[in-house]
Amino acid sequence: MKKNTKQMGKTNWPVTILLIMGCVTIFFPLYMAVIIAFKKPSEMTNDIAGALSFPSSWSFDNFTEAMRVTDFWNSLGNSLLITALTVVIAILLHSLAGYAIGRNMGKSKFYKFAYLYIVSGMFVPFAILMMPLVKQTSQMGIGNRAGVIILYVVFYMPMNLLLYSGYLKNIPLALEEAAKVDGASTWKTYWSIIFPVMKPMHATVAVLTALGTWNDVMTPLVIMSGTGKNTLPLAQLNFQTQFGTNYNLAFASYLLALIPILLFYLVCQKQILNGVVNGAVK
Amino acid sequence: MKKRKLSVIGIFAGLLSAGMILTGCGDSSSDNGKIRIEMVQYKPEAVKAFEKMEEKFNASHDDIELTIESPNEAMTILKTRFIKEDQPDIIGIGGDVNYSNFLDADMLTDISDFEGLADIKQAYLDIDKNLEFISRNGVYAVPYAANAAGILYNKDMFEENGWEIPTTWEEFLTLLDTIQASGQQPLYFGFKDTWTCLAPWNAMACDLAPADVCQQVNRGETTFSEEYRELAEKILQLLPYAQDDPYAYSYNDACTAFARGESAMYCIGSYAVPQIKSVNPEMNIDSFVFPANDSADGQILNSGIDLQFCIMEDCKEKEAAYEVLRFMLEDENIQIYLDEQNAVPCKEGEFQLPSMLDGMKEYIDAGKMTDYQDHYYPTEMAVDAMIQTYLMKGDTDAWLKKFDRDWTRYNRDLIRKIQDYQKENGEGGNK
Amino acid sequence: MMKKNERKRTFLLITIPILVLFFTFNTLPLIKGFIYSFTNFKGYGSYDWVGFRNYIDLFQDARVGHSYLFTFKFALVATIVVNLFSLILALGLNSRIRAKSALRGIYFIPNVLGGLVVGYIFSFIFTYILPTIGKSLGIDFLSSSMLADTKTAWFAIVIVAAWQAIAMNTIIYISGLQTVPEDVYEAGSIDGATGWTKFKNLTFPLIIPFFTINMVLCMKNFLMAFDQIMALTKGGPAQSTESISFLIYKNGMDGGQFGFQSANAVIFFVVIVAISIFQLTFMNKKEEQL
Repeated sequence: MKKNTKQMGKTNWPVTILLIMGCVTIFFPLYMAVIIAFKKPSEMTNDIAGALSFPSSWSFDNFTEAMRVTDFWNSLGNSLLITALTVVIAILLHSLAGYAIGRNMGKSKFYKFAYLYIVSGMFVPFAILMMPLVKQTSQMGIGNRAGVIILYVVFYMPMNLLLYSGYLKNIPLALEEAAKVDGASTWKTYWSIIFPVMKPMHATVAVLTALGTWNDVMTPLVIMSGTGKNTLPLAQLNFQTQFGTNYNLAFASYLLALIPILLFYLVCQKQILNGVVNGAVK
Repeated sequence: MKKRKLSVIGIFAGLLSAGMILTGCGDSSSDNGKIRIEMVQYKPEAVKAFEKMEEKFNASHDDIELTIESPNEAMTILKTRFIKEDQPDIIGIGGDVNYSNFLDADMLTDISDFEGLADIKQAYLDIDKNLEFISRNGVYAVPYAANAAGILYNKDMFEENGWEIPTTWEEFLTLLDTIQASGQQPLYFGFKDTWTCLAPWNAMACDLAPADVCQQVNRGETTFSEEYRELAEKILQLLPYAQDDPYAYSYNDACTAFARGESAMYCIGSYAVPQIKSVNPEMNIDSFVFPANDSADGQILNSGIDLQFCIMEDCKEKEAAYEVLRFMLEDENIQIYLDEQNAVPCKEGEFQLPSMLDGMKEYIDAGKMTDYQDHYYPTEMAVDAMIQTYLMKGDTDAWLKKFDRDWTRYNRDLIRKIQDYQKENGEGGNK
Repeated sequence: MMKKNERKRTFLLITIPILVLFFTFNTLPLIKGFIYSFTNFKGYGSYDWVGFRNYIDLFQDARVGHSYLFTFKFALVATIVVNLFSLILALGLNSRIRAKSALRGIYFIPNVLGGLVVGYIFSFIFTYILPTIGKSLGIDFLSSSMLADTKTAWFAIVIVAAWQAIAMNTIIYISGLQTVPEDVYEAGSIDGATGWTKFKNLTFPLIIPFFTINMVLCMKNFLMAFDQIMALTKGGPAQSTESISFLIYKNGMDGGQFGFQSANAVIFFVVIVAISIFQLTFMNKKEEQL
């Protein structure tokens, strides 16, 4: 942080002001969401003044009721568990893949193929995979949270491979050559030198992967059905039935679900900014 | 070298074992010697009623343990469970095209020897019979609860203005004019949600098209251009009486508007009442049958099976499953469901009906009703979206032609099956 | 020599298990789906083989044809809009501003809001708020709901999709900007490069790998748009905003067209892979030139 302030020099005020003004596009919808989350269904109207006015009372009833309906702590626990494990595995495994494939795809046909093969997997519509995957996971005995995590690790592999191998392009080979001269194995060099250098990318991958898994409904719905375990988005389906939606409770619940992932992002974004490469290259 | 290999393997092994931990604990099957019956029903909004019934059943039965699940997105879950070959014993689904499909895939078992069927209203048994793509011997579902659709109206507004309930199309149009002339909004549509386009369509079709028009078309006896023309022309006539640009407003908007007295009537089914009442709990709602013709004998109510129970082909304990159905059909248990869900019972007998169905009661009692047309439409044809398109464009001839063309394409395997069946048996596929 | 082999073997030891994992949970089910595309499978129950009928139908189906046109138009415009805005936003958020963390947090929020919330709020804005503004200012195309007009609905979806997606692409650009060494700037400043020239000649060439990534990810997200459409229009009005994924999902899963939509998915997959391989090779060449 100290280093940053030193580098920052004088504040760019025009940009700061523009960015603050831009926040309106986010605050306005967010304001509506918060207002609705506090209102009662009987306060909902179809006119602008009614929709933007404050609720008759700022009571947290909707939030407590939403937590009750979604069995909040259990669902949150499952969501956290699935997201956290997915993110950790993704960072370990996908960065390795990005390294092995990214470093070789320039000169080897095999790795070039592996790269395109995995990246193109990104474009397989989930709907076509769903039925076969349901069958496959249940036959393998992983029609549960573990299965969901494995599937996420595979689903996010293409994107993360793309990200890691892209990032590696800006990390000079010279960095690992030095270690090699000292006789360290490639495996060791990777963990001691390359892996730490990719920290901003780990944070990016963590944010993007967590975001995708946190909000996902379909995968846990079809894979975990019947296990009696719910994730938050699954539990939130409770607010929508065929012939009616309780928007007030739903909004309260969505706002609650937003908090953990927002905090996670705020932690990660500090890591994105550390600019480790700059220091390392010099 | 070795060390490195080991650590690579180590990582993967670590990941695997992390997986194993999560996999743990399957379901503990009951060792108490009871027969287990598992039921999945597709209406999560009715979960409270079913929890009550489940508890009551288990308290009164020593030999059977009943579990009822009311999952969200139940149809998706059911389909995935079929793929996993993990079928429940009893399913509670609607009397719609999904039922036809499950039946066609030979997934349901014949329950014609279930004595409870004798108490079910014939009109609903007929509806289920009609839903069979190809006529089968036997009975495959117990109709449990129905809903009814037509026009919901704001009773207070009607009383204040002295408006009369119309009984013919002529009178209905006059009423619409009167309301509009008084400066108030007669109708409100939420056509942004395409499925709501089906509400007036289905309700009017009861009067204007044969109940089995889809089967007739499948047998090659008639066309939709022929049978749906009057219906298509009349539905267009409603538009001037609704708010501007009805395609901008959703079902939820329309419910809110009607609840706030912004329109005198709302063409929708009894199923919308809870949503409307959530906005205005005090509202005085009643209903009447959609008067789409000028016949002196009155009209036909639009009513379909909202919930029915089927026993799966794989169910091993049929007798125990029958016991569950018997229990469900006891009058007091039906009443539990009706009270929670504002529903219409499919069983004969004296039940307390929700007050907003007063205007439809005589039709329900007399069994003068026809199923929703869309229960016969394949989902993938998206007839609701087609109707929305039609309402926006208003090109009756071209649209009806397209309807016929699309119908043959989306249903061709079925039509071929029916025609093969006709050849073999010398007569109609579904009678 | 020994070193080289060691390196090679390590890479293989990493890559092969990953490929196996990927094959098992992505390619294998894809192959199964491909097999279903030759049947009239509904998703459950019995089915018949129908040969190439699904593929032949696909090319004659006006609804499918329209969904391709819509999807590509939507994806192209949304990709451009999102990349433009997120690059600007990333540069802004990466510059010497006050309240950096707070601003970065705020601009991230749209990406986390669930589809139900976004759908409801933006429908409200398009249905009630914008028409009121449009009427009072006399702006014609705003005076009725953009979502209810077949000509404008697609663009309303672009706006909302972009609003949500910009956050994610901004993060990627920001992390890309971290790899631009300070000394490049210092060298540039000595030469007197400022503003646009500095960006064009110094910054942009260095973040081209991230530009590539963002293009590919945008393409992926928008060509496969589903959530945004479910939240806002559900394919309407008049079936004008049915995307390819919407059809594959709605008719393949909810409807009984699993076999047919599998064929659709296979064709769609081949089309996007062709486009993105072209994109990747093309961009890689560009990167190498620089």
